[in-house]
Amino acid sequence: MQEFLLILKGDGMNHLSPNELQQILADYNAWASELGDRYITGQKLEENGALLTGKEDPIITDGPFLEPKEIIAGFFLIEAKDQDEANSIASSSPHLGLYSIEVRPIDYPKMK
Amino acid sequence: MSEKSEQIIEHLFRTEYGKLVSILTHFFGTSYIQLAEDIVQDTLIAALNHWSVDGIPENPTGWLVQVAKRKVLNELKRKKIILKHHNAGNVPEYSDSDIDAVFLENEIEDSQLRMIFTCCHPSLNTESQVALTLKTLCGFGVKEVANALLTSESTINKRLYRAKKTIRETNLPFTIPQGKELETRLNTVILTLYLLFNEGYNSSSSDSIIKKELCLEALRLAKLLAEHFEENGELCALISLMCFHIARFEGRLDDRGAIILFEDQDRSLWNKELISKGMQYLKMSMKSTSLSSYHIEASIAGQHCMADSFENTNWLNIYDQYVLLKSVKPNPIIDLNLAIIQSKIDGLKTSLEMLNKLSQKEMLNDYYLLPATQGIFNMKLENYSEAINFLETALSLNPSETESEFLEKKIRECKKLAPG
Repeated sequence: MQEFLLILKGDGMNHLSPNELQQILADYNAWASELGDRYITGQKLEENGALLTGKEDPIITDGPFLEPKEIIAGFFLIEAKDQDEANSIASSSPHLGLYSIEVRPIDYPKMK
Repeated sequence: MSEKSEQIIEHLFRTEYGKLVSILTHFFGTSYIQLAEDIVQDTLIAALNHWSVDGIPENPTGWLVQVAKRKVLNELKRKKIILKHHNAGNVPEYSDSDIDAVFLENEIEDSQLRMIFTCCHPSLNTESQVALTLKTLCGFGVKEVANALLTSESTINKRLYRAKKTIRETNLPFTIPQGKELETRLNTVILTLYLLFNEGYNSSSSDSIIKKELCLEALRLAKLLAEHFEENGELCALISLMCFHIARFEGRLDDRGAIILFEDQDRSLWNKELISKGMQYLKMSMKSTSLSSYHIEASIAGQHCMADSFENTNWLNIYDQYVLLKSVKPNPIIDLNLAIIQSKIDGLKTSLEMLNKLSQKEMLNDYYLLPATQGIFNMKLENYSEAINFLETALSLNPSETESEFLEKKIRECKKLAPG
């Protein structure tokens, strides 16, 4: 088993209606309970924060600093057998469609 | 991950959205409706994120209120908004208990009432009133408002933007008017709720769920209003009318969503509880001294609900009421109804003559129901070729999808029945 970080990008939820949000909650709960132990953690990020680019450069605060579709909205940490399984878990998530999802394996030291 | 899989009540987010937006607008002032909406949207998104990880809390409404309060405090800190009802200049300090006060149960209702009066303010046009009511008080999303009102999202966005701009620029107070002004304003509010209801009831939208929800929301707001203006006869009559119409909702379409003619509807599907509620409000409405069009319309709808079959309906009484309605609120649709009811009193031929006369007037030229009725009546008289002509005219007047399907079905039946 390996851990994967699912990075959600975009500003997907802001334009949804209350009913649609409630529907996503229901879909999400179904999705997460299906994942069971393979779900490790997940958080949404606030939109503000700071961007530091170098020791000499000014600190850019109060994002968003990027194109809306590039904003990192949140992340999940999951466990999966390999990249393929992680991809299929991400693609079954109710967030896909609202956000784009980057699926990246955590680089832990591996035994040769 | 929580093992709990409690369900939250249907439309919780939507109902809470309407309440919270009213409360926050009360707090910030009408110029800040958009800010109130943004904060509530954020609150719902936060709920979605937390509840999907930790499970749904025991008291979801309380949770939303707590988070909304915290977001208000953050907003005050961040922007240091000078609230309208305070002396300009000093930035007021708010303690938690000040903010708690606006979230008290009776304040919530008060805020919603103020919101109704604000959304229905006469400085806004009718279209904006309806759109704004749906968006802020009923918690519909822009897409849902657009679907309900059969227009595009960009049109709705424009209407909402303009309405909020008018509210800001004219500095509308977030209040319930008093005394004489209350009476006139209440009339506007009642009319807006009537129109909101009609949007749902008569809409040609093919989405029957959204239509019903629109009607139920109009009823909910009218009842909220009635808790405070119970002696208002027009309001009671309006609620009565809404109950009678919603009671018959289930009988109007078949399993496949196709139209069932009123005379063919299964009356056992009508909701008896709502019919008796309607009667109750109709009785209450009779206490007022004035007779409004709402009274007459409610009474006609009630007459239909009380009849155990189409044939046993008291058509003479209904005819008289339509004559009365015509004197209070003259409009060509009432003439059309009178002509149709004539078929139950003096027969189809007399009725058709009246309909033919009506079709020579310009007012109803684009109204598909006139030729549709002429078609159906001719069909009953076995004049199949005339029937087909009328039904095809009706079809050419852009009826909704379900209505078109109905007309096409009738044309096919005529062709089968026609001799030769």
